[in-house]
Amino acid sequence: MDHILKINELSKSFGDKSVLDNLSINIERNKSQVIIGGSGTGKSVLLKCILGLIEPDGGEIFFNQQILNKKNRADIDFHSKIGMLFQGAALFDSLNVQENITFGIKKLDSNHVNLTEIAVDKLKKVGLDSSVLCLYPSELSGGMQKRVALARAIARNPELLFFDEPTTGLDPIMADVINNLINEVIEEVGATAITITHDMESAKKIADNISMLYKGAVIWTGDAVDINSSNNPYVDQFIKGSSEGPIKINPND
Amino acid sequence: MYRYIYVIPEAIGRSVLKMCASIGRIAIFFYDFVVSLFTPPFYIKSLLNQLVRIGYNSLPVIGLTAFFTGGVLALQIYVGGSRFNAENIVASIVALGITRELGPVIAGLMLAGRVSASISAEIATMRVTEQIDALITLSTNPMKYLVVPRVLAAVISLPILVIIADIIGIMGGFVVGTKTLGFIEQSYIKNTLDIIELHDVMSGLIKAAVFGFIVAFMGCYHGYNSTGGAQGVGRSTTLAVVSASILILASNYILTSLVFTN
Repeated sequence: MDHILKINELSKSFGDKSVLDNLSINIERNKSQVIIGGSGTGKSVLLKCILGLIEPDGGEIFFNQQILNKKNRADIDFHSKIGMLFQGAALFDSLNVQENITFGIKKLDSNHVNLTEIAVDKLKKVGLDSSVLCLYPSELSGGMQKRVALARAIARNPELLFFDEPTTGLDPIMADVINNLINEVIEEVGATAITITHDMESAKKIADNISMLYKGAVIWTGDAVDINSSNNPYVDQFIKGSSEGPIKINPND
Repeated sequence: MYRYIYVIPEAIGRSVLKMCASIGRIAIFFYDFVVSLFTPPFYIKSLLNQLVRIGYNSLPVIGLTAFFTGGVLALQIYVGGSRFNAENIVASIVALGITRELGPVIAGLMLAGRVSASISAEIATMRVTEQIDALITLSTNPMKYLVVPRVLAAVISLPILVIIADIIGIMGGFVVGTKTLGFIEQSYIKNTLDIIELHDVMSGLIKAAVFGFIVAFMGCYHGYNSTGGAQGVGRSTTLAVVSASILILASNYILTSLVFTN
């Protein structure tokens, strides 16, 4: 099996609190991998460790068979091969839509050719037209901001796309629109996608594979179609959204 | 009762450790800044934008402050000097006081309020809304893109602002001296020009460059390390202004006593 990303026994603690506990997971190339789990189970920390925003305490991450760490992340130009859709879009307030979308392209292509064309093309892919090119993020609705952020994420035709809670804060219709867009852009760009979410509707819609995190470790991995028959009490409780089951909510967590 | 003996030493120890940790973090941030300053890419467009924001946009507030400071200095020196029949020293003291001391310090403090707060709030907001993380994922070093242009712009801008503040401050003293205190215009100008030496102006400009660095660096440092949402943004802004102001006054004393007393 061809894995674009391999994570071996990753660990991370903040003070006494262990967030990632020897977590291991392999991500198949050209598949959409969704990682589900409740709040505080380590989903975001895992993503930040992969992206190099947080240094893990232990374990290894391999991208295309090359180890990813603080030293060689720049050497292998990791960030130019990925795209990231942040939970709150994280568009740059001081830049307009076109500048936001092409921000990373300027870094790759010193000739700055056809930036407007690229921006228009990416906007089209996320269902927007050129009329928003000169608008600033504060002039866009939440759903439009997510779309522009998605356009920015795919602007460099990345090998690996990350989606952090892509439907959080959106109404159900807009959430479904974003889910459809994610499916479309993954297919069109031909990228591998890693999504972290606790929205089961979204997970079922965009996932080829689903893994569930609990207390900083992967407790179940399988095909998205098998999640309803996982026979895992943790997964069953999570997808049903029930307060009864093995997952206990600690008010101090 | 016995355990209360340890309360005060514990509190002092915690504060000392906290202070040492802060100094360490600032030293690491400074090291990263220096490395980023001398390694490409260089964001020239961003530097020019910041020169306009920090330098040009600060002109009105610095100019007004300098004018009134020069004016009030003339009034106070006149009142003080008249006690020793030394009213004629007004022009000389205003010129020296503005160029050596008040020009750079007032400009630095005004910039701390205006620019340090703005830089800190902007970068802190970028931190809490994950815009800084987004920069990293887009292959951009936030230190080079956000911090270096702002600090450089402040270091370049403040000496220029201080030259303008010196001129306007002396003009403020001149207006009050000639219109309110009855000095003759020609003699006021002659006294001013006779007393000022290049060294006086240069000492003020060197101080201004140091103050510019402090203002922008503190704004960037507190903004960059902001945590805790909107409350964190507010806290980092306050810390930036307070720490920049204190460091300006402290470094002013150190620079004056070590370098500019002769």
